[in-house]
Amino acid sequence: MPHYSEDDLILYYYGEGRRRADIERHLGACSSCAAAYRQIAGTLSLVTAPEVPERDERYGLEVWQRIRHQLPEQETAWWPAWLRWDRLAVAGAAAALCAIVIAAFVAGRLWPRQDLPGMKMAASDTATEAGTRVRMAAISDHLERSERVLLDVMNASGARGAHIDVSDAQGWAADLIDDNRLYREAAARAGDTMIADVLDDLERNLLEIVHGPSTLTPAQLEQVRVRLDAAALLFKVRVLHDELRERETAPALPRKTT
Amino acid sequence: MDASEAAAVLARARQGDSEAFRVLVEQHSRSVFRLAFRMIGNEQDAEDVVQESFLRAYRQLGRFESRANFGTWLYRITANCAVDLMRSKQARHDQSRAEMLDAAVDTTMSNLPDPERMAGSAEIQRRVAQALEGLSPLERAAFTLRHYEGRSIEEISRTLGLGTSAAKHSVFRAVKKLRAVLEPLAQKVS
Repeated sequence: MPHYSEDDLILYYYGEGRRRADIERHLGACSSCAAAYRQIAGTLSLVTAPEVPERDERYGLEVWQRIRHQLPEQETAWWPAWLRWDRLAVAGAAAALCAIVIAAFVAGRLWPRQDLPGMKMAASDTATEAGTRVRMAAISDHLERSERVLLDVMNASGARGAHIDVSDAQGWAADLIDDNRLYREAAARAGDTMIADVLDDLERNLLEIVHGPSTLTPAQLEQVRVRLDAAALLFKVRVLHDELRERETAPALPRKTT
Repeated sequence: MDASEAAAVLARARQGDSEAFRVLVEQHSRSVFRLAFRMIGNEQDAEDVVQESFLRAYRQLGRFESRANFGTWLYRITANCAVDLMRSKQARHDQSRAEMLDAAVDTTMSNLPDPERMAGSAEIQRRVAQALEGLSPLERAAFTLRHYEGRSIEEISRTLGLGTSAAKHSVFRAVKKLRAVLEPLAQKVS
């Protein structure tokens, strides 16, 4: 009989998870899972919500008195956030793509029929190029985030001889895995084997970080560093990131018009 | 205050009317304090989080979408202010969290009080607080939201700006660390 993991039982305890009915049936039949669940539930039942110190009706006014002279300038609406260069780049590329598609459509309707095949090809080439640029920009951002996670792990430290907590880096790494898989598949489909290979390496290492222990002894951390060093992963990620950034900023090649 | 009055107050606050913002502060301070205290476990720090949350909310009011619920938006800001404060305190701590967790395990293993004392529950709460101190800021935040606040993993991921998988793993890691410290106590009590 297959057993449920601790994670499944934790989710079950909190009323979550997709297989609740299955787990419930299983706990009725499997004494070892039932014992494991009782241990989890017994321990978590000790963690009761702390008693929150009372705050009376005037508390809101007290808070207001404390902050009223410190109120900062209000940030204006949504557009300043969009003025960040990375978002502008993506938005600009998306807008350019839309404009190109609309222009290609209108041109296809209005131009004399004999010109149509050449124009269609040009429009489709331009659209493909814009799509590639958007993908490259997204992968470049992803590599930058991944680099930060790898650096967090490489530079993690604790008091002499103590365990080192890498759980935050694990959280960030877990966030990156799904994106990484999508970008790797997209790169492979587009025939970008170099990008696909680096992302493949990256994915394996991110998975190892996520599924590894969240606190490491100095010796274990050293092993992780050695493994990452041996794969030259940080170096590869940096090189690819720089290259994609250069491609993003490079002007598009002039297109033949005849 | 009915819904249309609340919307009007919020609209004025978004235009920079500080009197309208005062109404919002008075209305939400206690719930913000409650969340901050549960996340941080310390009255003074919780007060700092309350203050910082309202200042941050005021600064970002222009970004708040009027269709959204102000309480939910403020809840998210408060949770993130609490995480930021835990991170900054953690950076200042000389003793690493791992050491604190080890210390908590050692205390639990070597010095279990008798059941009557345990039943007083103050001792248990002290051990629980010590074990919570051993969690990373994200683990503690995710665990508090799941365990004390009853938020789903989906809601935790939205509140803390994490992926669902990261939110889930933060809760798992927190529970595992707490079990390592508290399981001997749980066995003794049962």
